[in-house]
Amino acid sequence: MSNPFFYFLSCVFVAVSHGAMLFNVYTNGKYDSINDIIALCVAVIGLDAVYFIIMPFFKQRTYAVDFMLLFILNMSVIFQSCFGGVHLDTKHFITCIAALVSCRIGYVLCRNHRWIQTKKKFLWAGIGILLVVILLFTGDRSMWIDLGFMSIQPSEFIKPLLVLACATSIAEQMNKHEVHGLNIVYDNVIIFGIVAFVIVFQWWCRDLGSIPTFAAIYASCFFLRICYPKAKFSRKTLIIAGSVVGILGIVAIILAPAYVKDRIFADIWSDPDANGYQQTKALIAIAEGGWLGKGPGKGFLHEIFAYESDIVFATISEEWGLLFAIMTVIVLILMIAMPLVNPPRSYYHGTMCAGVCAAFTMQMALNIFGSCNMIPFTGVTLPFISAGGSSMVTSGIMTGMLVAAQSPVFKNPSAKQKKSSSGKKRRTA
Amino acid sequence: MDLAICAAAAALIDITALIIIFASYSEKHSGKKVWGKITSDMELTDESRIYNLECDEILIGRHASADIRLQDMSVSRYHAMLNVTDGKWMITDIGSKSGIFVNGVPVQHTRLYENDVITLGSKRLIFRKRRKN
Amino acid sequence: MKSIKRCQLVITVFLLLFIAGMGILTARIYKDAPFYITHSDNYRLGKVYDRNKDILFDGTGKEELPYNHLIDVGNLIGDDKGQMENTLVAQNIDKLSNYSFNGGIDNKNGKAAIYTTLDHKANRAVYDAFMGADGCAVAYNYKTGEILVCTSLPNIDPRNGYEGIANMKSGTLMSKALYRTVPGSTQKVSTVISAMEILGCDGLFAKSYSCEGYYINGSDGKIDCHNQWGHGSQEIQKAVENSCNPFFAQLVEDPDLPLDEIKRMYTKLGYAVSDDKTEAELQYFDIDGVQCEKASTTLTDSSDFSTQWGCIGQGETMASPIQLMMWQSAIANESGKMTMPFLINKVTDVDGNVTEKAKKNFSGQLFSKETASSVKQILLTNGANHYANSIPGYTVGIKSGTAQVKHGAEENALLVGFVDDSDFPIAFCVVLENKYSTAAVAENIVTTMLNALS
Repeated sequence: MSNPFFYFLSCVFVAVSHGAMLFNVYTNGKYDSINDIIALCVAVIGLDAVYFIIMPFFKQRTYAVDFMLLFILNMSVIFQSCFGGVHLDTKHFITCIAALVSCRIGYVLCRNHRWIQTKKKFLWAGIGILLVVILLFTGDRSMWIDLGFMSIQPSEFIKPLLVLACATSIAEQMNKHEVHGLNIVYDNVIIFGIVAFVIVFQWWCRDLGSIPTFAAIYASCFFLRICYPKAKFSRKTLIIAGSVVGILGIVAIILAPAYVKDRIFADIWSDPDANGYQQTKALIAIAEGGWLGKGPGKGFLHEIFAYESDIVFATISEEWGLLFAIMTVIVLILMIAMPLVNPPRSYYHGTMCAGVCAAFTMQMALNIFGSCNMIPFTGVTLPFISAGGSSMVTSGIMTGMLVAAQSPVFKNPSAKQKKSSSGKKRRTA
Repeated sequence: MDLAICAAAAALIDITALIIIFASYSEKHSGKKVWGKITSDMELTDESRIYNLECDEILIGRHASADIRLQDMSVSRYHAMLNVTDGKWMITDIGSKSGIFVNGVPVQHTRLYENDVITLGSKRLIFRKRRKN
Repeated sequence: MKSIKRCQLVITVFLLLFIAGMGILTARIYKDAPFYITHSDNYRLGKVYDRNKDILFDGTGKEELPYNHLIDVGNLIGDDKGQMENTLVAQNIDKLSNYSFNGGIDNKNGKAAIYTTLDHKANRAVYDAFMGADGCAVAYNYKTGEILVCTSLPNIDPRNGYEGIANMKSGTLMSKALYRTVPGSTQKVSTVISAMEILGCDGLFAKSYSCEGYYINGSDGKIDCHNQWGHGSQEIQKAVENSCNPFFAQLVEDPDLPLDEIKRMYTKLGYAVSDDKTEAELQYFDIDGVQCEKASTTLTDSSDFSTQWGCIGQGETMASPIQLMMWQSAIANESGKMTMPFLINKVTDVDGNVTEKAKKNFSGQLFSKETASSVKQILLTNGANHYANSIPGYTVGIKSGTAQVKHGAEENALLVGFVDDSDFPIAFCVVLENKYSTAAVAENIVTTMLNALS
């Protein structure tokens, strides 16, 4: 604990902010009995307190991301518990704790790049297994596995694995192999293959929402990779790559199936009950909420399908006001922006941060802009705010990567591993 | 219903976010110290300037994208790479034309010790403990 | 270090793009929210007031109003249900938007309102004076253009809903003052104006024709006078007072009065004139978004039977009561320019700011000032000689009319005129349908209306 004063201040303010939100629920909310609010208070403030006590035991350089994460998660618990009437959303509360735990796991796994560098075959295998699982166990052209008591979306878990795979591939750029006269880095080929396969697969499954996320992760890593020493970085490469992507995008739109075009070019207001039902309702709800909202639990949007996930931004806007919804997004942005304050210390950590940032911003953009009819509506979740176990856990892991980049470890995986062979130990006088 | 409370809660959220950002800035300062500890607090210097070693995988070369850029024709565009592990700095030749000499000995990949003199082409760099100011 | 800077650059670019998107989104929501809200089930409009702040339409649904409160002006004010299109509320619905993003949907203090020029009390009095008979009455200030009375029977209070719409009397859902009707002898005012413009004042006063109770015209048609004994030889003042049909038939036939000139004058006055038997195209003018039908007539030949009737006020001639009233303003002001009527005095937005304020407006020069003064004198004399007892207490210039409708089965009584008083400048038009079947009398309606307004 290098800075007890700020640590204490952060604790106090996070708890007080949650308290203010709960007070707002108490004064403006719709609830049947005060017990519901007490239960919510106990859950939120209790989680705050427990985490504050545990936190000093983590040996980390910085804690800012942890505070942000806890801050957002408990806000999310309060939001989700208030939709359509105050009642502690136990399931969401548990998934939030799961997100905190997966954040720790993500941190421990990703902080040391020398270690994870040696394990990257497992990453590729993991993605492969997930794809096989999706093919075998999900329904017809679906991305979901129904376990009865809950549904899992395995494709979500590909995101952190892909980020890691991209980050670990960076250091391999100098290991070029000549195959048929071409200088090839095996990692790049493998990652390109993975991304291409995932995208084609998602296209086939009509899960168009995840494609931009994967594309963004790959694009950010691609950009950083070609900047790596000796990767033959040139503006020409960039321009060619950019224009290829652009042409592919245009071709994709032209050749897109009819239902995709319907989504892109539809005027949702001409028939509010048809194609754009959710968006029109979402926009009406935002308009009804105004800046300061109707009060927690007093909205109508909780009667619309996917109110707690795909159009959650509008649901929050309606009940808490657009101001509050924007504040929430700002907190998310600030959390993602932490690597700008505390810079990562290696290519691997930097690439990881960029990949996480790409994934988060892309998901936020698809969710918020989609539900507000600025871009086609795809049904992507808003990280940490939307309900949903898979998305919560993967977002937790990715936040763990941000924590890892803030508190990196530079150690060889095991002391016994071969040390520098060519150099001789020398000591200068 | 009192909308002011909603507005106040929203304001408080931003204040909290700001506090955390401030906390993060204060950690930035202490983080530098920790980084110094991790990396034994070393720096590189030539006759005219000092190069801080602020991250792993530092590229030394003539290319514009190099972290430590030595504008001398005797230095290759991508000359050498510095890595840090367990507080120890290693230098690796990444295919330079003129090679690396540490204290006059040509090397491919070796550990650096305090006050080592690294010669890249006609450029000489000293690897030393970081000096305050 | 450059490598780290590049990573941070990528992060910054992503975040900036996203923040820019959020900015656009917020601006868009703020700008378009009033549109989104129109699709909401909870959307509420503002209010419409009369000139004394009496509520004519309550979009907030919070006001308690007496039963049938709006039975006099319901079909002019209308509502937002989409049942009546040509109404003040339906045509100005966006001005009534009582929503602002700052206040949200629960905006209790929304001040969006339309302040109309109508006098609800006077409308109610006029409505009662019809004693259940059908018809309409409209009156306005001919100096400013404020429409004070515009009632129409049968009528509906929109707040009672539209149950039994199939059994409603025809004309219930439209304010009759806006729609064309047969003007009867009130049309003779236009003919007098036209003749005076063509022949000059002295030229017209020099004309004299005789009436034997009927007139066989140039094409062997028989134009009946309502006085079967005839009026004998008359000049223009007497002919107007007698409302003598043969006089006007002969005037139209008079070679000094070429039909082309009459057509030109009628067109100038605002008639849609067609010169063959095809019906003239229906045209409209606009009173604060509400459409009012323009007058129309068919004129083919000076000696043609229906052309002559057209100038007398039967046949194919049609004019809306508001149009008849507007011509009176051009006469009463002695200017030859109509005062354009309006219904909306001012509009306030949700915050109570005045966004629109009515302005006085006049038409172009329809006829000369001299003609206006002369015709005014003719009408005032008519009023003094024939209406001093039936409309007591007011100096009125007036012209009556009897319009045969439903192929002569019913007769409507019309009265158009003005009060010659610069402190009480009212022009009016009253239409009492099927006058023989009711105890109501058009003169009494005018008296009631003027009493209620003064």
